[in-house]
Amino acid sequence: MRETPLSIVGLAIVIFFTIVAIAAPVLAPPRPGRDPYMIPRYGYSPIPKPPSPEHPFGLTQGQYDLYYGVIWGTRAAYRIGVLIIAISALIGIVIGGVAGYYGGIIDEILMRVTDIIFAFPGLILAMALVVAFGPGLDSVTLAMVLVWWPGYARLIRGEFLRIKSEDFVEAAKAIGCSDLRVIVKHILPNAIYPLLIMASLDIGSVVLVVAALSFLGLGAPEGYADWGQLISLSRNWITGRPGDPFAYWYVYTIPGLFLFLFVMGWNLLGDALRDVMDPMIRRR
Amino acid sequence: MRMEKILSPDEQLRVKDLIVRFYTYEGIVKAVEKAKLNLRRGETLGIVGETGSGKSVTALTILALTPPPGKVEGGSILFRRLNGSIDDILKLSEEQLIRLRGKEISMIFQEPNAALDPLYTVGDQVAEAILSHRLPEMLDKAIESLREDVKNGNEGFSTRLQLWAYNEMKRNPDSFKLRLVKRLPIIGKVISKKLNQVVREEIVELLRLMEIPDPERVVDSYPHELSGGMQQRIVIAIALACSPLLLLADEPTTSLDVTVQAQILDLIRRLKERFGASIIYITHDMGVIAEISDRVAVMYAGNVVEVAPVIELFKRPLHPYTKALLEAIPRPGATFKSIPGTVPNLVNPPPGCRFHPRCPHAMPRCKEEVPELKRIGEEHYVACHLYGGENRGKHSGGN
Amino acid sequence: MSASMRTYVIRRLLLLIPVLIGVTLLIFTITQLFSPEERASLYIKDPRQAKDLSSIIKKYGLDLPVYIQYFRWMDQVLHGNLGWSESAHMPVLRAFINHFPATAELALYAAPLTIIVGILLGKLAAVKKDTAVDHITRIMAIVGWSLPSFWLGIMLLAIFYGGLGIFSPGRLSTWAENLVLSGKFKVYTGLYTIDAILNLNGAVLLDALSHLVLPVTTLVIINMALLMRIMRSSMLEQLNKTYVIAARARGLKWKTVIDKHATRNALISVVTISGLLTAGMLSGMVITETVFEFKGIGYWAAHAATQLDIPAVLGFALFAGMVFVIANLVVDILYAYIDPRIRLG
Repeated sequence: MRETPLSIVGLAIVIFFTIVAIAAPVLAPPRPGRDPYMIPRYGYSPIPKPPSPEHPFGLTQGQYDLYYGVIWGTRAAYRIGVLIIAISALIGIVIGGVAGYYGGIIDEILMRVTDIIFAFPGLILAMALVVAFGPGLDSVTLAMVLVWWPGYARLIRGEFLRIKSEDFVEAAKAIGCSDLRVIVKHILPNAIYPLLIMASLDIGSVVLVVAALSFLGLGAPEGYADWGQLISLSRNWITGRPGDPFAYWYVYTIPGLFLFLFVMGWNLLGDALRDVMDPMIRRR
Repeated sequence: MRMEKILSPDEQLRVKDLIVRFYTYEGIVKAVEKAKLNLRRGETLGIVGETGSGKSVTALTILALTPPPGKVEGGSILFRRLNGSIDDILKLSEEQLIRLRGKEISMIFQEPNAALDPLYTVGDQVAEAILSHRLPEMLDKAIESLREDVKNGNEGFSTRLQLWAYNEMKRNPDSFKLRLVKRLPIIGKVISKKLNQVVREEIVELLRLMEIPDPERVVDSYPHELSGGMQQRIVIAIALACSPLLLLADEPTTSLDVTVQAQILDLIRRLKERFGASIIYITHDMGVIAEISDRVAVMYAGNVVEVAPVIELFKRPLHPYTKALLEAIPRPGATFKSIPGTVPNLVNPPPGCRFHPRCPHAMPRCKEEVPELKRIGEEHYVACHLYGGENRGKHSGGN
Repeated sequence: MSASMRTYVIRRLLLLIPVLIGVTLLIFTITQLFSPEERASLYIKDPRQAKDLSSIIKKYGLDLPVYIQYFRWMDQVLHGNLGWSESAHMPVLRAFINHFPATAELALYAAPLTIIVGILLGKLAAVKKDTAVDHITRIMAIVGWSLPSFWLGIMLLAIFYGGLGIFSPGRLSTWAENLVLSGKFKVYTGLYTIDAILNLNGAVLLDALSHLVLPVTTLVIINMALLMRIMRSSMLEQLNKTYVIAARARGLKWKTVIDKHATRNALISVVTISGLLTAGMLSGMVITETVFEFKGIGYWAAHAATQLDIPAVLGFALFAGMVFVIANLVVDILYAYIDPRIRLG
């Protein structure tokens, strides 16, 4: 199963980040009484400071500790990513399930709605929604959920349509099981697998878009442990100092690397999961 | 030990100890195991067997087109070429194979719709076959036609250009000048004009031979615009366009309507007369085998288990599998008899004779030793421990 | 065009209308999230009008029932009034028109390059399946797909702009920009590379091109990944088909079979994604334009968003939705045209 070296790399990366996220309070102890997701600052100067024993990854613009930032950023990424996907999936299951199971006009209407949402590039729609709700991570979460649920709804609907006509469902209905029971006990367990694959492939994308929104200044506030936010702080320092163009390399390289590796790890893992679970692909 | 590259004078093809294995995720599929076949000039050899018997793989391998992940792991396929020489197809280079395929050996397929490219007209695809192998002949015809035009007073620029181009193509088909000129937008088209005309005429004639009504219109049709029967005629046309010595027919009528089936079978028979080709006809339908074959080879799970002239096979089937196949043919009034058990898993095939788990006459020896194909009667060969050794056939004598 | 093709096109065009309406409905729904006072900015053409909010609310019925508002709003939109953009200090529509050429220029180079590179690499990976080439391109695709576009842009800028001093952000260097703004340079399209050619000005052309290199590279690296993967699987699907074996059985060279038959069939599935990609680019590459300070509609929208400039962001979203829907239609028609099975019914 996990044969390809790439999927092993993906798994290793994901495990690494998961451990970092869980161990965040140990790896970078938060200050008591403060929101642990706000990065401690060590001054107010805009000029970044290079890595040192006290600050292993250096200090970025505004003297925020990068090490703390990327570590808690991992946790934040998981937190918001999982939250968005979980809620989207839930909404998607309900709506997609209803559409797929009952069909008819309900299905038509619900599918038109998803079509319309699909007509927009995700980032742009999310942007519009965040502006409407007001900037901040809560708005971002809400906006993302509104943008993402149609994908799950479509998937679940497809699965329901497929499974609905299978024999064991007909049998259950013939015995007299109530609709809800049929759905929960029979259809859902089978529809779950593609959903899991989609979710694992999605975490990367969701975290990327959230980071993009933070980068634009619409998501996490300054000083929050968010990779996108940290990257936006690094923009002024890409030219370095006269005579030393890469003087502030740590400011843009490190948070970006964390984000990139996180997304890539999950993409690799999601890919591998899909290859494994999709029997057709296996017959390469 | 030197490989024998010898065929008897009337032999067209000999498959010797062919081994084909497929390397898949699930394991190594031993699809064809030491298969032996031979084909005489002008005869129709029927290969019959269930799915998974290895018959299609064998046919494709004769063209050295074993589909990946398949690999030929042993054996030889000796073929008598047009020029009389004998080659082992498995040892030819790709360049040599290109000259062989479509010209000396052709193939027709089970699903004619799938065998045609949906994006090109049917005429284009037949033209491909003709231009690949009969280009000099077509060029000659074009040149002749152009000379006629000149005689009739038409000596315009395009005529002269084409004459030059065609003569150049004959002399030096890969010439740089030619390739350059062909790419030019309008001139390129002008150059192909007469050639296309000539080829088109040839194609129309060919389609007429295939008994396709209204060939002028069909030439410009796309595959999906034609019925299954028509599509198959096109596929046959493509296969016979260059008068091959051997035609491989892989279940060509299986996916067609019964009435169309009969028509196509008939057509193939008549075309064989006309073109003088040898045919290897693969099917799982015993009825078709009876109708079209001169001799029959029975394949099971990658082995050739019995070979005999068709009447002999039906009158005196020797191998238990052959007997079961014949009994399984539905007959009005008789109870439906199927062969118990299932086709074996070819990743871990049964040891010894691969049929022994389903065989009513299985002996302990069958589990251990793979039976070799032995000559039992005149022209009748069987791979079964029930025969050979003690049970010698009535006839003996050299081949 | 055959009859069946005609009906297909007409049918798709008719289906277009409800979807476009749906897009406007969605945007309208978002507007309803704001208070009437905030919404007033969607209707004004002039900042001075903002002083008299109550009359605007009255005029456009912003406190009336939803369906009346929708039609009033649509009426305004169809007349080109998308409100006033506070961040750009001009009506939304004009700000949009001003910024669009930059996005169009970027898309003009990025889209074809992405498509060509994606197709070539995908084809290569499929033909050389399971070899080193296949693995390398696969890694390239995964990396491209996973790279945050803003990070890639920043890294490229750090290396080339910060480190090597070539390729700077923005569309033109200062001297070129001054030249363009002066009367001596005629702006025909707003796409500086094309205008430079029309003005026979090689220096501006080079300058504009050099500013396009990094953003186009960023876009190509990230977007070709998906295209490459789809082309690869499409090719592999074709290579397994019977007609490929049949073509080889005719004696065609492997190369001919690939180029003439398999590739053409494989490209059909790729058309859809290429169209969507181009649509995505035309609807503004918000992140890339922001990072490279390339003043297109994406840049403007991002800027507007941080300033909570509602009409601008909504106008932008409306446009993006429209472009996508129309692109889908174009793709569908193209698809039907290429595949004779659909074209000839």
